[in-house]
Amino acid sequence: MAEPRESHRWKWLLCAPALTILVLAASGPLLIVLVYSFLTPGNMGGVIWQFSTEGWFRVFFRRDIFDPDDITLNSAHLAVFWRSIWLSLQTTVLCAILGFPTAWFIATRPANTRTIWLFLITIPFWTNLLIRTFAIQELIRNSGTINTVLLWAGVIDAPIQMLFTEFAILIGMAYVFLPLMVLPLYAAMDKLDFRLVEAGYDLYASRLQVLRHVILPLVKPGFIAGSILVFIPSIGAYVTPRVLGGGRTLMLGNLIDLQFGQGRNWPLGAALAITLLVIVVAALMFYLRTLNRDEGGRHG
Amino acid sequence: MSTGTAEIEITSLSKVFGAGASGFRALSDIDLTIRQGEFFTLLGPSGCGKTTLLRVIAGFEQPTEGSLRINGKEVAGEGPNSRPVNTVFQNYALFPHMSVAQNIGFGLKMLGRARSEIDATVAEMLKLVQMEAMAERKPAEISGGQQQRVALARALAPRPRVLLLDEPLSALDLKLRKGMQTELKRLQGETGITFVFVTHDQEEALTMSDRIAVMSAGRILQTGSPHQIYHTPRERFVADFIGDTNFLQVEVAGVDGDGAQVKLPGGAVHRARLPQGMRPDTGARVTVVIRPEQAQLVAPGQGALAAQVEKSVFFGTDTHVHLRLPGDAPFILRRQNTGALAEPDPGSTVGLALAEGALQVVGD
Repeated sequence: MAEPRESHRWKWLLCAPALTILVLAASGPLLIVLVYSFLTPGNMGGVIWQFSTEGWFRVFFRRDIFDPDDITLNSAHLAVFWRSIWLSLQTTVLCAILGFPTAWFIATRPANTRTIWLFLITIPFWTNLLIRTFAIQELIRNSGTINTVLLWAGVIDAPIQMLFTEFAILIGMAYVFLPLMVLPLYAAMDKLDFRLVEAGYDLYASRLQVLRHVILPLVKPGFIAGSILVFIPSIGAYVTPRVLGGGRTLMLGNLIDLQFGQGRNWPLGAALAITLLVIVVAALMFYLRTLNRDEGGRHG
Repeated sequence: MSTGTAEIEITSLSKVFGAGASGFRALSDIDLTIRQGEFFTLLGPSGCGKTTLLRVIAGFEQPTEGSLRINGKEVAGEGPNSRPVNTVFQNYALFPHMSVAQNIGFGLKMLGRARSEIDATVAEMLKLVQMEAMAERKPAEISGGQQQRVALARALAPRPRVLLLDEPLSALDLKLRKGMQTELKRLQGETGITFVFVTHDQEEALTMSDRIAVMSAGRILQTGSPHQIYHTPRERFVADFIGDTNFLQVEVAGVDGDGAQVKLPGGAVHRARLPQGMRPDTGARVTVVIRPEQAQLVAPGQGALAAQVEKSVFFGTDTHVHLRLPGDAPFILRRQNTGALAEPDPGSTVGLALAEGALQVVGD
């Protein structure tokens, strides 16, 4: 009797590899960031081990250089927060609008050619992000492909300034993250029973009504997964806003980078990173709760 | 039951999938009239084109050639959402994200009917299929038989002129299937809607239909009442597909009117009916059909045929006696077990008496 119980006691050791990874790889770095956000910045970067809330204070507020007691709201930071959230939302919506017909196209191909289309969708993933982003830059810069063609065709008289604008960031992010929307949407459509679409037509629904009442509700899980997958990397995007925003249009990722680099204010950078995490988690919870409420409403 | 007015008229209709020489001809030259208010069955083995024909009527497939009129109006080229036809799908295809009531009301909602009218019709339909208690359930929360009822109610709710049923009973177990057969007949009687029913189950077709079209390889071989299809099959395939059948190769001894004198194995001459339009020459070899219940065991030397008993198989209500005719042709005879009949000894020789009109000549 005692023998099996003895061995049972050490069974948790089997979880040790998983626990080690969870603690070291997931919680560990996060904990370090959290601790750093409450320390004092060193003069040459790094931190001095002295407790301070100045990093967190500076996330939202700003002190006058000459009069440290003159406190104002840090509108520059708030603008960056807002821009990050707003651009990420737009990216998500744009990806959903572009991703739906793309995924639908793939899902309605004959089974043996679907793999090829999916393969084509994932190819950009194998190319370096920086190279893809520079390719976009080449397309939209003032002497780039689009402006050259439009000028040549006489549609415009002067090049349109697209590079180094929020529009450029939006286009770049939508391009980079589109597969993350297409793939879960495709997975949802692949499971869709097309007889339901026929049943919709049979019961006098028009194309638009079938889309709205049959297809969209049934592929909703794909939209949810795709939105989450696009929104999260968008809000923390670094390379795309850096290259296409030209350092003039900052997003949260760039702001954080600035604090760890030129700004030499690691605690502020750490606090900003935690803020980003909080925004993502809050957005996710809000999103999922809204969805659940919709679901609940339909029962009643 | 059928008023005789045409509900669906199909003329020279063909359907080819794919293009060019590699195209697959799913339907060839279909001519068919389905009458108002009748229970019409498309019967055939899988792959015979019956489901394709149903899908063409529904509007899910467009005919490659030919005309399709519903209630006198040409509908070839129109989509399913503009035809007064609703379908009960093989696997029901209920919308999983809607409740039973929402499923039933879907068609009326799409037709833009008023909320009050939809609610009233849904309540009426729920009552018709005895599903009132399940109105708020999701399809996943009800049984297969109940899903079947909901699918029926959903298709009936918009009051279509024609209800198409694509093997709707095939997913149900035997007992439930028998119940639903009765239910379907009752619903058809109560609504007066034309039912077009697709099945590969010949027994189902015989018991439920007013008329049957037997299909094979994209063609309609014969259309008629269950009685006509069973007793006067025109072709070997039809006779073989419907019920148990004995086939005999016989020689034509003479032709008279709609019948022929044929020489049976062993030499006896018997009268056989001829299918319409068939006039074989005297001396030609033709195939005749004899149903197992239309022959009787008699004393050796009597009757039209002599046979040797191989074995008897007991089925409860009746017994199948397996026999060999002269020339080694197999013959199965069905005897109803109405009294304590002695089973014939295997190996013994018996005589076979054939009922009047038991023989039917069929084309090959």
